[in-house]
Amino acid sequence: MDAMNWLVLVLIVLLLAALAFVVIRRRGRAGGVFATKPKP
Amino acid sequence: MHASQINGLPVVTVQGGEDVAEVRDVIYSPEAGHLVGLTLNKRGFLAGRRREVLPVAAIHAIGRDAVMVADESSLALPEDAPDDVAHPGADRNVVGDDVLTVGGVSLGTVRDLVLLVGSAGEVVGYEIEKAGGGRGYIPLPAQLAVSGSALVVPDITEEFVRDDLVGLGAAVDDFRARLGLR
Amino acid sequence: MTDSFRQAAGRKLISRTSAQDLGTVAHLLVDAQRRQIAAVVIGRGKKARLVDWSQISGFGPDAVMVSDEGALRPPADDRERLAADGKLEILGQRALTELGNAMGTVDDVTFDTGTGALVNLRVGDRELPAAAMLGSGSYAVVLADHGEPLT
Repeated sequence: MDAMNWLVLVLIVLLLAALAFVVIRRRGRAGGVFATKPKP
Repeated sequence: MHASQINGLPVVTVQGGEDVAEVRDVIYSPEAGHLVGLTLNKRGFLAGRRREVLPVAAIHAIGRDAVMVADESSLALPEDAPDDVAHPGADRNVVGDDVLTVGGVSLGTVRDLVLLVGSAGEVVGYEIEKAGGGRGYIPLPAQLAVSGSALVVPDITEEFVRDDLVGLGAAVDDFRARLGLR
Repeated sequence: MTDSFRQAAGRKLISRTSAQDLGTVAHLLVDAQRRQIAAVVIGRGKKARLVDWSQISGFGPDAVMVSDEGALRPPADDRERLAADGKLEILGQRALTELGNAMGTVDDVTFDTGTGALVNLRVGDRELPAAAMLGSGSYAVVLADHGEPLT
């Protein structure tokens, strides 16, 4: 594989890693609607 | 308005005009029929959670575009806030819950909470995806029990599923009367 | 006399004593609680300087007269640094009611040139008295609710 192919491969991996990071962070911010625990 | 519209809204100070946080979770008491508080994220596309929480008493107003607070001191540290708000049960997210009657009939699944506009976070009912398809509304006093998996309702709730918010408003009083909660 | 923020933007500042050109109006910093212009901001970034309203001897339609160059001072705190960076610019700022509903953007603000007191805010096609302003900052100008129609 020549240097150009290698470079493209590395860039793609970096891009995928960045996308994964963004998706995980954004998912971590997602909120919901929660019911309180019943009181005994 | 719907509870899910509150998730993600900026928390803005009236005095400072600053967006100090963003709404993460909406926490309500099914027994009391109102919101008890909000948990928060920091502002920013990739920002993390905020430690501070917002008990309902410290909220100045909830609008379409922002949750208003007097100033940044309205945000409370978890140790200074009611336990319900500081530590919501992780498994008690009601969205997606199956709505089951005592007799074992599924009326649908929970999509959202319906709040009374202009109130201090009063919850009037649930919006559901009906078992047969389409959107429905059931009045709040319905649930006998609720967890992160199911909402258990009396059998007669089946008669009180409405197709729109206007119908829901009318159904709330009738339903309470039927259950003898007046 | 009244003037407006939009018209005042870019106006020259001149020293009353030396007749020197000291800069042009970049921003007008507002004290929302007093409903008053707090200071004039000229320049940007590291070169930004503030002139307190009390140092302005005449806010005229063609020039803002300042006592002398000594009236120009660098930003003194975080809020003034934000103002110098343009983050507190009220023109074009989001207008929010205290109930949390968006009203549009602040298109212009009129003020009394003698006292620096704010008179009106123009938000879209509505003219609101300055008394309606409850707060102003980097995210929004917060306005008192006067029973606007709910949609």
